[in-house]
Amino acid sequence: MNWFVNTLTWWQWGLLALIPPAIIALYFLKLRRQPLAVPSTYLWSKAIEDLHVNSLWQRLRQSLLLILQLLLILLLAIVLLRPGWRGSELTGDRFILLIDTSASMSATDVAPTRLDEAKRQARNLIDQMKTGDVAMIISFSNRARVEQPFTDNRRLLRTKIDLIEQTTHTSDLNEALRAASGLANPGESGDPNNPLDPRVAEALPADLYLFTDGGFAAVPDFNLGQLNPKYQKIAAENAENVAITAFSTEANPDKPEQLQAFGRIENYTDEPKQLEATLLLNGVLLDVQSVDLPARSEQGLPGVAGVKFDLQQLEQGVLKLEINAKDHLQADNEAYAVVSLPRPAKVLLITPGNDALELAMATDEMRKVASVTVQEPAFLDTKAYQDAALEGAYDLMIFDQCAPKQLPLCNTLFIGTQPPGEEWKLGDKQNVPLVVDIDAVHPLTQLVRMSNVKIIEARPIEKMPPASTTLIEADSGPLLAIGPRAGYEDAVLGMEIVGAGEGGATEAKTDWPIRRSFPVFVMNAVKYLGGIRSSVAAPSVRPGMPAVLRSITPVPLIKVESPRGDLFDVPRESQNTFVFGRTDELGIYQVREGTGGKAAQQFAVNLFDSRESDLRPRETLDIGHETVEAEAGRQVARQELWRWLLLGAIALVLFEWYVYNKRVFL
Amino acid sequence: MATADTPLLSPQLLAQLERLELVSRKIFRGRMKGERRSRRKGQSVEFADFRNYVPGDDLRFIDWNLYARLEKLFLKMFLEEEDLHFYALIDASTSMDFGEPTKLQYAKQLAASLGFIGLTRADRVKIETLGSTHRRPGPVLRGRSSLWRMIEYLDGIQPGENVPLAEGVKNFCLRNHGKGILVLISDLMDKAGYENAFRFLVAQEMDVYVIHTLCPEELNPEIKGDLKLVDAEDNDIAEVTVSRPLLDRYKRTLASFIDGAREFCTRRGMNYVMASTETPVDKLVASYLRRRGLVR
Repeated sequence: MNWFVNTLTWWQWGLLALIPPAIIALYFLKLRRQPLAVPSTYLWSKAIEDLHVNSLWQRLRQSLLLILQLLLILLLAIVLLRPGWRGSELTGDRFILLIDTSASMSATDVAPTRLDEAKRQARNLIDQMKTGDVAMIISFSNRARVEQPFTDNRRLLRTKIDLIEQTTHTSDLNEALRAASGLANPGESGDPNNPLDPRVAEALPADLYLFTDGGFAAVPDFNLGQLNPKYQKIAAENAENVAITAFSTEANPDKPEQLQAFGRIENYTDEPKQLEATLLLNGVLLDVQSVDLPARSEQGLPGVAGVKFDLQQLEQGVLKLEINAKDHLQADNEAYAVVSLPRPAKVLLITPGNDALELAMATDEMRKVASVTVQEPAFLDTKAYQDAALEGAYDLMIFDQCAPKQLPLCNTLFIGTQPPGEEWKLGDKQNVPLVVDIDAVHPLTQLVRMSNVKIIEARPIEKMPPASTTLIEADSGPLLAIGPRAGYEDAVLGMEIVGAGEGGATEAKTDWPIRRSFPVFVMNAVKYLGGIRSSVAAPSVRPGMPAVLRSITPVPLIKVESPRGDLFDVPRESQNTFVFGRTDELGIYQVREGTGGKAAQQFAVNLFDSRESDLRPRETLDIGHETVEAEAGRQVARQELWRWLLLGAIALVLFEWYVYNKRVFL
Repeated sequence: MATADTPLLSPQLLAQLERLELVSRKIFRGRMKGERRSRRKGQSVEFADFRNYVPGDDLRFIDWNLYARLEKLFLKMFLEEEDLHFYALIDASTSMDFGEPTKLQYAKQLAASLGFIGLTRADRVKIETLGSTHRRPGPVLRGRSSLWRMIEYLDGIQPGENVPLAEGVKNFCLRNHGKGILVLISDLMDKAGYENAFRFLVAQEMDVYVIHTLCPEELNPEIKGDLKLVDAEDNDIAEVTVSRPLLDRYKRTLASFIDGAREFCTRRGMNYVMASTETPVDKLVASYLRRRGLVR
């Protein structure tokens, strides 16, 4: 127990100690009595005669004002000592305050929110700092941020704490711990066993205060070293939450033109819940379903229920799923999904003539997913091709019996030819190779059967880039392989469909085009390499994680509007991608290209984090090999008396004023 | 209210006072024939009584007509008409120089008023201050014509005769014997007390009236703050921090002082009148002193 906290240095106390003698001196200077002639002092002397009996006390009584002033100074001095009780005593002189700002800290089980409570406790802690103590503030979610490096300026520390904002991110203690340990555990410069080899810096032990609810994974590979962790659990035991942890849309497999929306709802309370899940499209109510959620299981797993909405014909729009849960965390009671019709892939087919391929690219099904442009190989030499290749105007280029001088900035499929460069190399012609294996898992070769396909001649792939995948293996070598190239993928088919035969006439090199697997392969190639998503819903982005966007038209800059309405400019990075990192808010982000006011794309940011939604506080934190227990109960803040003392001082001043005016003493 | 500049006696006051006369409850003896009937039997035209003749009586007062009828000697007695000795003793110490009008001025006015009453009734009027010595006695006045001499003498009295009360009274008593009316006008502010002085007066066979004159500054002091009170007579200093309780205490002391003086006088057959200078002189004379029997 620490009844007093010294707030002044010794010379400040010295100055303060000078004040009472000064007051007394001033009082006696002031007591130069006004002479007044009276007829006789006879009666006055008699009147004050008996007062002189206890003269000292009488003097004091007459100097009531003096006493009041001295009392006032005493009171102020006590105020400066900051009397209080039940505060946890701060030992040590270096403090690191880690304040959790993850999504779960916005829970309202501790009024007003967990983060506010954490900030309040942190402020209390700073109030208890003694002169000369230094503290550092780090806020962390999935990223750590040093809000204030070590300082002894308590006002600055308090201000910085006030400035800490709630985020919707997930929690990760790792980075924060590394930021905190910089001073406490300095790196060693060389041989720690050599006494002549000094350390770079003195190891400065520090108290590490963690203001968190513990909603993060254990940090196994961290050595606390000189840090003395203290876990201030900021959570109530009765925190309740029901959360949407997944929400997506898929085409209805039975009726492909219809959509289905799926949601996953989890119950983190110990009682079964009955809720209503509401689906809205662009703010208009579509459907409501009742959901029965089981209670949390014995093992601590949440009770899970799914909801499924069958939607009729659906245009582009924003689907919103709401649950009417009265719980302590609001952020996870809503989820958004953006439904956009599949964007047709832009495919450039360059071929001297390939009826089978062109036919396969002209089916009704293909026209839904891709817009195909067919060009002669001579097109490769035109300026239009050069521009298209550099801008990434196409999603996929198919080179049949021809090859460009440089690989374009898009995915490619080479049929029977070798891509430029050193990475790929096709071997010599082999006659009648036999297909021995097919990768049935890869999307490019899904549902493709080659067993009934006769191949007259092929050039097996001899060399392919690292991390490439062989998809069709023949007895003489790989026939189809796909390899990465700086964000793009190149697929190489080591056989021609049709080709120049002897004498230059075009002849078929395989009977694959008459097999059913050929259009399936072409469709797979266009869908996979053309970037057609199987899901009609854009994938949800987790808060704080970067969203990778692609523009529809080649523009150098896109604008992203956050749900709150803030506009961000995102410049194009290589490979026609735009990386947007400010996904701090939950909801729908609008993406605009060029100067158009209409949103070209939308994407949703949803919490979807079971760990954040689970509001049950952790009793222990595992940091490295240490287990940090939560401080017993809620940390009792120091009860400060100084406000009351100051009020008392004001009352004293008023009383003194009254005494001075009324002369009520004696 | 009269101030120091105004004449001691205004015509209105004089007219009012003319109808009054001084009264003594004691048998007094005048040296000269006066206008008032004495309780003593003596020579006058007013018949008082008869009494039997005893040898040695003055044969001139035997009622011969009665002797002729009854053959017994009776002495015919007449009421004696005598003059009255009126003394006014004024305290002219510095402490009397306070108040508005000053206590001294008030005392002079009072003395003038009473003296005038005496003069109109052909009494013997003598006005003195406590500082008067046998070398400079106050004038003895008789008759209305002496009014101006009296006023002149009173005007000449200046404050500053800081004689202890007891000594002044003693001196007066040594020089003035006999019966009469003595009016002592003083504030009694003597640090040695008034008791000794009054004892001299008790020994004197006079009708003693003590007019205790106090000014409002003494009765209701309106002062505040930290003060150094300086005694006007002996420069004695009293340091006070004036407060409501101190003022209350002062008033209690003052009241007990007044009560003490009144009781002291009453027990010894003296008349005590407390007079604030705020009370007009005419009212004091016509009302208070009349009620106390000094004037009629």
